[in-house]
Amino acid sequence: MTSYRVSADIGGTFTDFVFEDGAGGTRIGKVPTTPQNPSRGVLDGLAAGPCSLDEIDFFVHGTTVGLNAFLERRGARTLLLMTAGISDSYTIARGHRTQLYKLHYRKPKQLVPRRDVHEIRERLAWNGAVIEPLNEDDLQAVVETVKAEGVPAIAICFLHAFSSPAHEQRAKEVLSKALPGVSISLSSDIAREWREYERASSVVMDAYVAPVVELYLKTLRAELDEAGMGKTIHVMRSSGGVMTDKIARDQPISTLLSGPVGGAIGCAQLAKDTGRRNLLGVDMGGTSFDLTLIVEGEPQLSTETELEGLPLLMSVVDIHTIGTGGGSIAWIEAGGLRVGPKSAGSQPGPACYGRGGTEPTVTDANFFLGRLAANSLLGGRMSLDLNAAGAAVAKLARPLGISDIDLAEGILAISNAKMADAMRTITVEKGIDPRSFTLIAYGGAGPMNAAELAYELDIREIMIPRFPGTFSAWGMLRSDIRSDFSASFFVQAEQVDPQAMQSAFAALESQGRLLLEQERVPNERMIFARYADLRYVGQEYALSIPLGTDTGVAQVITAFHAAHERRFGHAQPQNPVEFVNLRLAAIGELAPIRQSFVTAPQAGSAQIGDRNVIFAGQTVRAKIYSRALFTDQTRYFGPAVIEEESATTFVPPGYGFQLDDWGNIIIQKEA
Amino acid sequence: MDARAAGANPITTEILRNAFISIAEDMNAALIRSAYSPLIYEGKDCAVALLDQDGEVLGQSLGVPLFLGNLSLCVQTTAQMFGWDYFQEGDVIFLNDSYIAGTHLNDITVIQPIFWNGQRVGFASSRAHWMDVGGKDTSLSIDSTEIYQEGMRWAPTKVYARGEPRTEILDFLRRNSRFGGILIGDLHAQIAAGQTGEQRLRSLLDRFGLETVLAAKADIFAQSERMEREAVAAIPDGRYEAEGFLDNDGFSDDPVPVKLTVVVEGETVSLDLEGSAPQTRGSVNCGFTQTISAARLAFKLLINPARPVDGGTFHTLKVDAPLNSIFNAQEPAACAWYFSSLGLLIDLFLKAMAPAMPEHVAAAHYGDSMVISLNGIDARTDERYVVVEATTGGWGAWSSGDGQDSLINEVNGGFRDLPIEIFEHKYPARILKYGIRTDSGGAGQYRGGNGTFRRYQLTNDANLSLWFERSVTPAWGLSGGEAGAGPEVTIQSLDGKEECLLKVNAKPLKAGTIITIETGGGGGYGPASARTAEAVRHDLLDRFITPKHAERVYGYLPQSG
Repeated sequence: MTSYRVSADIGGTFTDFVFEDGAGGTRIGKVPTTPQNPSRGVLDGLAAGPCSLDEIDFFVHGTTVGLNAFLERRGARTLLLMTAGISDSYTIARGHRTQLYKLHYRKPKQLVPRRDVHEIRERLAWNGAVIEPLNEDDLQAVVETVKAEGVPAIAICFLHAFSSPAHEQRAKEVLSKALPGVSISLSSDIAREWREYERASSVVMDAYVAPVVELYLKTLRAELDEAGMGKTIHVMRSSGGVMTDKIARDQPISTLLSGPVGGAIGCAQLAKDTGRRNLLGVDMGGTSFDLTLIVEGEPQLSTETELEGLPLLMSVVDIHTIGTGGGSIAWIEAGGLRVGPKSAGSQPGPACYGRGGTEPTVTDANFFLGRLAANSLLGGRMSLDLNAAGAAVAKLARPLGISDIDLAEGILAISNAKMADAMRTITVEKGIDPRSFTLIAYGGAGPMNAAELAYELDIREIMIPRFPGTFSAWGMLRSDIRSDFSASFFVQAEQVDPQAMQSAFAALESQGRLLLEQERVPNERMIFARYADLRYVGQEYALSIPLGTDTGVAQVITAFHAAHERRFGHAQPQNPVEFVNLRLAAIGELAPIRQSFVTAPQAGSAQIGDRNVIFAGQTVRAKIYSRALFTDQTRYFGPAVIEEESATTFVPPGYGFQLDDWGNIIIQKEA
Repeated sequence: MDARAAGANPITTEILRNAFISIAEDMNAALIRSAYSPLIYEGKDCAVALLDQDGEVLGQSLGVPLFLGNLSLCVQTTAQMFGWDYFQEGDVIFLNDSYIAGTHLNDITVIQPIFWNGQRVGFASSRAHWMDVGGKDTSLSIDSTEIYQEGMRWAPTKVYARGEPRTEILDFLRRNSRFGGILIGDLHAQIAAGQTGEQRLRSLLDRFGLETVLAAKADIFAQSERMEREAVAAIPDGRYEAEGFLDNDGFSDDPVPVKLTVVVEGETVSLDLEGSAPQTRGSVNCGFTQTISAARLAFKLLINPARPVDGGTFHTLKVDAPLNSIFNAQEPAACAWYFSSLGLLIDLFLKAMAPAMPEHVAAAHYGDSMVISLNGIDARTDERYVVVEATTGGWGAWSSGDGQDSLINEVNGGFRDLPIEIFEHKYPARILKYGIRTDSGGAGQYRGGNGTFRRYQLTNDANLSLWFERSVTPAWGLSGGEAGAGPEVTIQSLDGKEECLLKVNAKPLKAGTIITIETGGGGGYGPASARTAEAVRHDLLDRFITPKHAERVYGYLPQSG
């Protein structure tokens, strides 16, 4: 019996699958997502795969169940308990505006309305000392409300709980005894970090999605059991590792952004495989464009992110979403041509989908110019309508007084330049020069525009991984088991007691070890990576500095100055530095799996035809290749279109390409 | 299309339009990334712009809305003073003179001419708030009466000439600030931002050529101007007026009048500030440049707010202010708190335009930054500290929505309140209460936003400074909506004695003293009688109003919902 490793990436429209047998064979699959009960789609996809369910040895999936519950505001009604006197911190939400000229500005809508924020009398001082003991009568009042109104979830955020979680923990003890079955989340469990609003916002998100995520995971478990897949279910984390479904149920918030993370891990794997250090990963789908940076071989992690303006304190792989995609609509304003930000989305979708869209989109332009074949989407299950695309393009070209071809090429040029602009700004913010990077393009629409995007950014090398349309799912199979822990450690650098630091890390490590043991990770595969968050006294935000078990305080401080120099362009070694948090990543390394590109020599050419494609105003005859038929590392030249099940790659004239040892297509500009 | 210049096509034009905006964002990212002072990299108290060879805006990025369009004016004024040939390749020019740049001396404007193939093709410019530029008090004085007390004052001065640093100028700057090292760091961050703009503009020119870039620029400006002219033409012609008062100038007790007249005629909007106060002894004065910026901000709130600003914007707006008035102050008027007058100007502009643009305007907001500052020695560390906090308040309702509760004032940008957990860690005081001030929003069919309260208790002796405004002219309502409550500050000493005041400089207070600040609410829109019972019921559920207020103002009894 062959044993398979299988991943599923449950997206908004499609659920993608990758099946790997132990011998280097890989198969992909794509089925429609079933939003009502996403586990149906998972089962459909597994059933359509190359193996029977009992042959699956390892199963991981990324889920947007929690995220969608949030986006559609379908989460659980949640009560928020905060310290008496300051509970409006949550509703005030720090009082800032993000749109400067908007007179009718609205703050982001909070998940808990003010009526459901309850004040509990208790108060800690800045150092965790008790000023006012926890008033348990106030908790009784909450118990009454929860019982009377059937509230399923409670979030607790007490002031200075990051210094001492004692009051939060006691409150949970009292409430869980009185309210069995009610989900209770503590801010000190989610993030041991200061800033009461951000912590409250995070713990509310956790409580809000908890019942939905839990129900989903329970259903999936039950249905897989019934179908005969008895192995542990793994879930992708927003921070880039995987965890068991059991742990995911305890930490639902950590599944929230698990969807696109697989792509970032996949990029990091390609960096490792191919020896490239710096990669720019672009995932272009129908409505959005996600950017991931791999710097010196590592994906970039943030300790904080935002969803629709609501802050979340949690470790998350840094993925920048830019609102341009295949569905971005071209339109006219004051006699000028614009592309986006409005998108045709998947309904009605681009005009060429023939579902009633009449405005030209980026996908219509690609199709109109011949870069996309009519049967190229969904493995031919969907046919594109050239007349509809042409009519939409003509509708806009006429009032601008330019030809249809110029307009279609113009739409692509504007959208590529816009994406490149946004990418450049992100790299400038991080102090990175993208020109030395390799661009990795994936997602359905990424490979189509990759060469032109790279040109805009002055990037010389482009990589199209295998199975670009299901690359995120592939990346999930490359993930380690990972869990992140943090503890507040607020002390001026010169006053750090190395002993105290060691014991704080030891405490985090024992939490991490416990968790890895639950995941049944053998001792020799456990890695505990330590980080300290430092900043100059006076700053609000800190930098995470990696350190080893025997790194001294002085070395950490030196490393901090260097990191500050890299990130901000300057360091001030004479200025006082403070520690803020200690962090630990508990990692269970997966057994390494050698993935190499195995080819079975086949007769015949990879070329399956040719077609007219318009590029730079010229009609050129492009060779059409089937990616599956490439069997060696011959160098080919553009203009070319490479078709495969999940994506189409366009190689413009003046570019050459060949396969590398791992089966990736490497495109380079000819000298 | 007919307005399109030869040499550009709509595609190149749009690529360049996006690129100009993106260059400004890159410049801003470079500035924030390399700034030394948290006011810039966390508070975003800065602005950058990429300008053309005449100093017109190609693209800009702002942290502070009140800086709208004034980098352009600084370049043009410098050219008027010294001629365009003053700008040489490799120069870095800076200035902070309030009567030229408009704002207080802490705001430093940096100008770098950009050359390509030996020809001046544009400018990169930035403005950032420096922590300290000398002056009698650290940071801002509350009671200055002459600009000489507020710090060093620089007309346009080259700190780099043809690429060479003028070390004597750098040394002078360093020696005259309490935080000289940070000041030099921030200056270099501004220069780095300018260099980013320079490189990006040059590479656009390498790719597209000067002729195409100029043609596209003309198209872009024409598009903006066309959109603006259409929007202005749609405003009914007429003469619109409004008047209000600052509480005082921070020095005397006399209210300071602000009066404006707006004349809309076809495609032009003329704003005249005749009738506003002569320049005051206290520091609520500003240079005329900043008055223009504030007028542009007010205008932008109503006209095409989503369209980025460029050289085609604001051609329809004319601004006049009498010489030697608070809006066109001359030496030696103090300017530290210049923005209080401008905040009122903006609110009054919206009030004046309400009859003409009822859908676009909103009732007044709480109006000012409501600043509380504490300084002293922290007994925990024996170190000197100073904390300055701006406070949120209520915003005005409009024709289809309630005003927001507890939101930062219009002229501020990236402000966020200081978390209590950070405050109590860093400073020797506690925050006993922080919240939304119930019942403070003006009643109306649409309710004004509620103000904010914050109660501090000192744990060590400290000096208190306050700059609270708008008690004389609290946030007014529109179309029958009521005014919001005004601000209040109460100081309760250990013996229980209470004192109320709104402005004070460095008042010594004992440990244990409790200070309660309350900011004003926003104005309501439409008569209170028209508010739906459902809306009142929700406000009650969310405790934004008390049952008493619901009954008294809206005639609402629990059973009526």
